[in-house]
Amino acid sequence: MRKLKVVCFAVALLSAYACKKNQYYVYNDQARIQFGPEESRIYQSSFNLADTLKPFTFYYEDANVKEDTVFFDIYAIGGITKTDRSFTLQQEQVPNLSNAVAGKHYVAFNDPRATKNFVIKANTVHTRVPIIMLRDASLKSSTVVLKFKVIPDQNFLSGEASNLWRKITLTDRLSQPASWDNIATLYYYGKYSVVKHEFLITHTGQKWDEAFLQTLYSDYSLQQYWTGAAKIALIDYNAAHPGNPLRDENNELVVFP
Amino acid sequence: MNMKNIYKAGLIGVCLFLASCAKDKGNYEYRPKEQITVTGIENAYTKISEADRIVLNPTVSSSDPNADFDYLWGIYETNVQGSAPVLDTLAKTKNLDYLVKKPAKGWVLVFRVTNKHSGYSTYFTSNINVVTQFTRGWYVAKDDGTKADLDLFLTPTTISPEGKIENIYSTVNGRSLDGKASLLTFFSTYKSTVTGTLGNTRTLFLTTDKDISAVNINTLKEIRGFNTLFFQAPTTKAPQAVFLGSSANYILNDGKCHSLYSMIANTGVFGIGKIKDDLNSPYYLSQYFLTSPYSDPVFFDQTSSSFLIGNATGSVMTAVSDISTTTMTAKKNNKTLLYMGYKSGPLPVLGYAVFQDKTNPDLKILSQLNPSTTAFNIVNDTLSRSDKLFNATRYMLLDGDENLMYFVSGNEVYSRNLSNRFEQLQYVAPAGEEITFIRHRKYPEAGFNYNYIMIGTKSGSDYKVRMFNKTSGNLDPQPAFILEGKGIVRDVIYISPSMSENTYSNSY
Repeated sequence: MRKLKVVCFAVALLSAYACKKNQYYVYNDQARIQFGPEESRIYQSSFNLADTLKPFTFYYEDANVKEDTVFFDIYAIGGITKTDRSFTLQQEQVPNLSNAVAGKHYVAFNDPRATKNFVIKANTVHTRVPIIMLRDASLKSSTVVLKFKVIPDQNFLSGEASNLWRKITLTDRLSQPASWDNIATLYYYGKYSVVKHEFLITHTGQKWDEAFLQTLYSDYSLQQYWTGAAKIALIDYNAAHPGNPLRDENNELVVFP
Repeated sequence: MNMKNIYKAGLIGVCLFLASCAKDKGNYEYRPKEQITVTGIENAYTKISEADRIVLNPTVSSSDPNADFDYLWGIYETNVQGSAPVLDTLAKTKNLDYLVKKPAKGWVLVFRVTNKHSGYSTYFTSNINVVTQFTRGWYVAKDDGTKADLDLFLTPTTISPEGKIENIYSTVNGRSLDGKASLLTFFSTYKSTVTGTLGNTRTLFLTTDKDISAVNINTLKEIRGFNTLFFQAPTTKAPQAVFLGSSANYILNDGKCHSLYSMIANTGVFGIGKIKDDLNSPYYLSQYFLTSPYSDPVFFDQTSSSFLIGNATGSVMTAVSDISTTTMTAKKNNKTLLYMGYKSGPLPVLGYAVFQDKTNPDLKILSQLNPSTTAFNIVNDTLSRSDKLFNATRYMLLDGDENLMYFVSGNEVYSRNLSNRFEQLQYVAPAGEEITFIRHRKYPEAGFNYNYIMIGTKSGSDYKVRMFNKTSGNLDPQPAFILEGKGIVRDVIYISPSMSENTYSNSY
C-alpha cells in the first residue's frame, strides 16, 4: 500500500509538472547569426536545411570569365540595429577531399573584396552572402570543396549549430546540378554521370544546368517533355549503335527511369 | 481487493484527475436558435457579361424582435484549380444593383446578413451563370474542302435555334483554319492565361486534318494553335483528334499520341509524342480512340495491328495482354481498324470496333472491346457480305442509351442491334444530298434538354444537319429541327454555360 501511495504521488507530481509551460530558448540574449534557406522558405520547416550545398561549375561560362559568385542566405537573430554589423566567415577543411585554396579557388574571407560584403545592413536581419569563386586552370581537371562557417565575433554569437556552415563544390567541368538531387535521380534523370549529362546537352540542345533544372522543377509538363525527349534520344542512340550502348565514365550503362 | 486492482484503480483515478483539467466549453445557451429569413433571391440567374445587371431588393426578417441588420454582397468563382476562390465584395447595402463584369463562367453570389443585436450571421447564395453570345448554342464544324470554320446557331430560350452566326471562327480570329474539319471537343479545365492569370478556361478545340485551334468559348478568340499547343510542335501537321482521358488531355497527330497531365498546375502545353515501346519501334495510330474521363485511352496501331494504351505522364505507351477467353488477339491481329468508338462507361469503358483483315479484305469483323492492359477482351461478330454494315462508310455508336450502332451505307442510314445483329433502315437522304456526318449527342439541362441523332448532308455548297429524336433507338419520322448553312458539315456540338468536359463522351 505504501508503494501504491508513492507511485500515485509520483504520477500526480509528474502530471502537475507537465502542465508547466515550456520555456523556449528564443535567442534573445545576444545577437546571433546563422545561414538559412531563401527568404520565401524561412517559415517552411522542410527547407530548414536547404541550400547547405551548392555545386558550381564554370563549364557553361565563356572562356574569358575568370570569376563568378555563389550566394547564400544568412540571417541575424535577436532583432535589428541602427548600424551595419559585419560578420565573419572562416573556411573549414573537409577531411579526405580536395579542399579549395584561398586566393586560388576563391577570394579569401579576409580579403577586403570579400569582407566588404559580409555585412548585415542597419535595420535588417538578412543578407545574401556572395562567395567569389575563381576560375583556376586546375579546375579543368579537378573538383574542390569549399566548406565554410560563421564564427563568433564582436557583433554576433553563433546561431543554431546545424545552420552555421555551407559548402560549395567547385569545378570547371560538367558537374551534377544541385537540383539533380535524390528525388530527381529516382524519378526523372537516373544516376548522374558526366557522360549522361553531356548526352542530354548534345541531344536536346539545352544546358541542363541548375537554372534549366529549376525551370523543369516548376513545370511538371515541361519536365515530362524533356525527360521523354532524353529517353527517346537514348533509345535511338543505342539502336544506332548495336552492341555498343551508351556507357558512362564508370562503364555503367546510361539509363533513364 | 488485491494490490493489482488497487494499482489499476489508482491509475484510472490519476487519468481522471488529468482529464479533470479540461476546460468546460459547453454551450449553456438554451434560447431558440435565431432564424433569419430572406426572400427575393432566386436560386440561379443567367447574365450576360458587361451587359446585364443583377438588381435585387430582398426582404429580410428575423425571429429576434430587436434585430438590427448589416449586409454584405459578394461573388466568387467556381471551377477553380490551383488557388482558393476569393470572395469579391460587391456591396454592403440591403439592395444590390451590380453590372456584371465577371468573365463568362459559373459564379456564386453570396448575401450575408448579420444581426448586430445578436451577432448572428447567415448566408444566402445564388448561382450566377455569366454568359456571352458564344457560351450557348449549336456549333457546327464545317469546311469547303480546304478551309474550315465554325457556324454558331443561337439558342437563347430553347434548344431549337433562333438565329445563326456564320463563319464565327474566322470573323473573330481573322482567318479560317487550314484543312478539313474533323472533330469538336470541349474542355472546361484547360489552362490558359486569357484572364491575366493562369486558370481553368472553358475551351473549344476545333480539329482539322491540317490544324488545331483552341478557342476561349467566352470570346471565341484563339488561345493556342497547332504551333503553340506543343512544347515542340511536331514536324508533320496531321492532327487526328483532341480528347480527354483519365487525368490528362490528349492530342493525336500524325499517328502519335501527345498528352497533357491535368492533375497538377500546367500551362496548357502538350508533351512529346509517346513512343510505342522501349525500342522506339515504328507505329502509326489510327485516328479512332476509346476513352473516358476515368480511363486511359485505347489506341490501335495500324502498322502492327495491335492495341496500345496511352498514359497521362509517361513517354512510352503500354502494350496490352489478352484475356484467355478473347475471340481475337489484341496484338498483331493482322487487321486494319475501320472504326472504333465509345459505347458506354465511364468505368469500365466499353467500345466497339470494325476491322478489316489485311490479308483477306473480304473479312470484316464487328468487335466488342473490353479494354485492359492485362486482360484485353475482344468479342467478335464476323460480318457477312449480306450485312448492310459490311459496306458501311460511316459509323456511330449511341452514347449509353440503346445497344445500337448507326452506320451509313450509300445514302442510307441504318441501325444495327449489337445484341441480336438486327439491321434496320432508319433514314434515306433526299436525292442530291450526300451524308457527310452522323453522331449521337445528349445533354440533360432544364429547358435545353436534348437527345438527338444528328445526320449531316451536303448538297452543292450547302449543308443540312437534321436533328432527330429517337424512340426505342429508332429515328422519329421527322427531325426536331434542321441546321442549315454553307460548307460541308463534319461535327456538331451543343455548348451551354453549365457544361463540363465530362458532359459528352469523347469519341468519333
